[in-house]
Amino acid sequence: MSVLRRTRVLHATDTLEVGGAERVAVDIVNSLDRRHHEPFFCATRGDGPLRDVLLPDVEVSILGRRATWDAAGMLRFARFVDARDIDVIHTHGRGTLQFVALCRRLGLISTAHVYHDHYGHLHLDRRASTGLRSALHTVDDYLGVDGRLCTWAREDVGLPASRVHLVRSGVDLTRFDGVEPIDLRAAFDLHGVEMVLVMVANYRRQKDHPTVFRALAELDPAVRARLAVVTVGSTESEPGFFDRCWAMAQDLGVTEQIRVAGGRDDTLRLMAGADAGLLASKNETGPLVVLEYMASGIPFIATDTGEITRAVAGLPIGATPPPRDAHQLAAALHELLDAGPAERAAMGARGRQVAADLFDQRQVTRQIEQIYHQILTKTPATPRPDHASLTPAGRFDR
Amino acid sequence: MVAVTVDTEREAARTPSPIASVSVALCTYQGAPWLPDFLGSLQAQRRLPDELVVQDDGSTDDTLAILESFARTAPFAVRVEVNERRLGSTSNFERALERTTGDFVALADQDDIWYPEKLERLVGVLLEDPILTLTFSDADLLDPSGRPLGRRLWGQRGIRHVLVTRQIVPGARFAQRALTTGCTMVGRRRAIEAALPFPDSLNDPVAPMRHDRWLSLVAAAVGTVRSMPEPLLGFRVHPDQQTGVLTTTELAKRLLAAAVAATRNPPPEARAAHLARARQIDAAAERADRFGDFDEADDLRGVAAHHRTRADLGRTVPARVRTVWRELRLHRYDPSVLGTAAAAADLVRALRPTPAALPS
Repeated sequence: MSVLRRTRVLHATDTLEVGGAERVAVDIVNSLDRRHHEPFFCATRGDGPLRDVLLPDVEVSILGRRATWDAAGMLRFARFVDARDIDVIHTHGRGTLQFVALCRRLGLISTAHVYHDHYGHLHLDRRASTGLRSALHTVDDYLGVDGRLCTWAREDVGLPASRVHLVRSGVDLTRFDGVEPIDLRAAFDLHGVEMVLVMVANYRRQKDHPTVFRALAELDPAVRARLAVVTVGSTESEPGFFDRCWAMAQDLGVTEQIRVAGGRDDTLRLMAGADAGLLASKNETGPLVVLEYMASGIPFIATDTGEITRAVAGLPIGATPPPRDAHQLAAALHELLDAGPAERAAMGARGRQVAADLFDQRQVTRQIEQIYHQILTKTPATPRPDHASLTPAGRFDR
Repeated sequence: MVAVTVDTEREAARTPSPIASVSVALCTYQGAPWLPDFLGSLQAQRRLPDELVVQDDGSTDDTLAILESFARTAPFAVRVEVNERRLGSTSNFERALERTTGDFVALADQDDIWYPEKLERLVGVLLEDPILTLTFSDADLLDPSGRPLGRRLWGQRGIRHVLVTRQIVPGARFAQRALTTGCTMVGRRRAIEAALPFPDSLNDPVAPMRHDRWLSLVAAAVGTVRSMPEPLLGFRVHPDQQTGVLTTTELAKRLLAAAVAATRNPPPEARAAHLARARQIDAAAERADRFGDFDEADDLRGVAAHHRTRADLGRTVPARVRTVWRELRLHRYDPSVLGTAAAAADLVRALRPTPAALPS
């Protein structure tokens, strides 16, 4: 007689610092179906504030490895995996991928391995080093948060299509329930401004604040005066970038329309108080902030980059102009302004519903659980005939 | 300045895509021997263009008659304009690009043969990734009669390795060396707009910069340029072409000439050439700054500064050697055999006891 036990899933990241990949990992772990899964978490390098976000039932290990070839770290990791009898290791980030792949290659572990790729710089570097390529070929399944990553994995790295899955990022909608909005007009001296947009993005090249400023400059002054943008995010992420952006805004004569809130820990409240959200990134794989705009119930203008904007393009919940295109961004700003407060509110409400329908974290996690199940039922090296069974896996590659 | 000879508008028989339009910018000059092959290959594209914009630089052969005949049956709009005076290749392309209206613009040479999948493939790559401003492919080399030579364009130019391994090519690489050939490229509208108008410095008589290098330089400075290693056209190599490739023998001859020149006092135009190149790259940096691509602008200014430095290495042997060493240490020489040759030549000049500063 076999004894049913839950599938033991270990999520591994470099650290628990606040970052896109780490946030996704924590959200997946927290939303794994506890009836069938027992979650573990390993930060292979160091701890971080996201540890406090993990649910109390998640056992956390901080490995403290110093490099991919950290022999002591590998042994500690292998002991942890062995002692907890882990069924699936789910890695996030290329450093941790290569670390775990090396453990497998050296025979320290034989556990099924899923790699979750969040790499956001494919537009700058498509190279796959020998080490990365080799590591990718050891994983059982590859999950890409963006269709372009999946294409890269298939065409450039040569992974079989059957092992490549598109898994969009999700959002935990409950985080947005009961958030008390901040009155942005009062907080940032924007009395009388018709539409206040919030742009949650650190001042970094990737986030492309200059295109926002160029778009503002393209608007007729009378139109421009009716709106304002509150930028939320660190001004010190990339030395000198903010200063050059601000000099550009001054040259373009649009500083009246911009407020710089800096890094804040009340971002959700700022979103809730805005009339719309804005994101002008050159490149993103998510981007999660668009989901947060939708979950906050505000319409958005977000450049057409990343899987999330791709999935919602054309829906009456926001606009997705091409990245780097100041003309089309200006047109989108004008259109949203002219839509009026009632229509903007309606768009925001529809966006919240779309977030619930398409991006609810629980749905995304169910997809991932199916992939675990599929691997475990097809991998002879890790037979688990006594696992609690889920429904057969679907295929998410495209 | 120009006389319009043909301007046809017609519904495309096979409208390729409702979401994006594609222009082909073709420059012609005395192209009658080659043009039918090219036009035939254009008409056979799986993804047809929405318009063909032709800029003729004053042909006196049958070029215009061939174009007129083609325009009557082409399944897309054909717009031909003839320059009243010869502009030369770069300005001719500038004029053609100004007249295009498509979301994507493919550049074409009159003597090439496009493979049926060329437009579909390159436009598809740009459609898939909105951050890309320009993409370009490799090409098979053809002899004058159109027979394959069994060699590829990138291999012949010694750039295959860098383009296959990197795929994403930063602007500074285009500033260091011409890596693209116009007829292999498709650019997004915003890259074309950023590159227009061409700065006057491109037509510097000592060191002109061709339209394709300028376009890729600007496209990389204000966006992302991706290389596609597959050959998507046949590139004809013949004595009449303006945009030819160096044969191995010609390349060896040039390297030998450069080596010999390094042992002599540099000619006055060498200094002027470096300064002209610096002005051209500075112009690209200015476009990047205008778009808020500050780091890319800084990288380009670094390459421009390298050219200014090479124009004036210093007065004394130690100063000149220090200068060359610093430029090597900062990786400012093109990381290819040509860059290595340039560095070696500068070092030889630096070590010469006679004043080796390039004459002003």
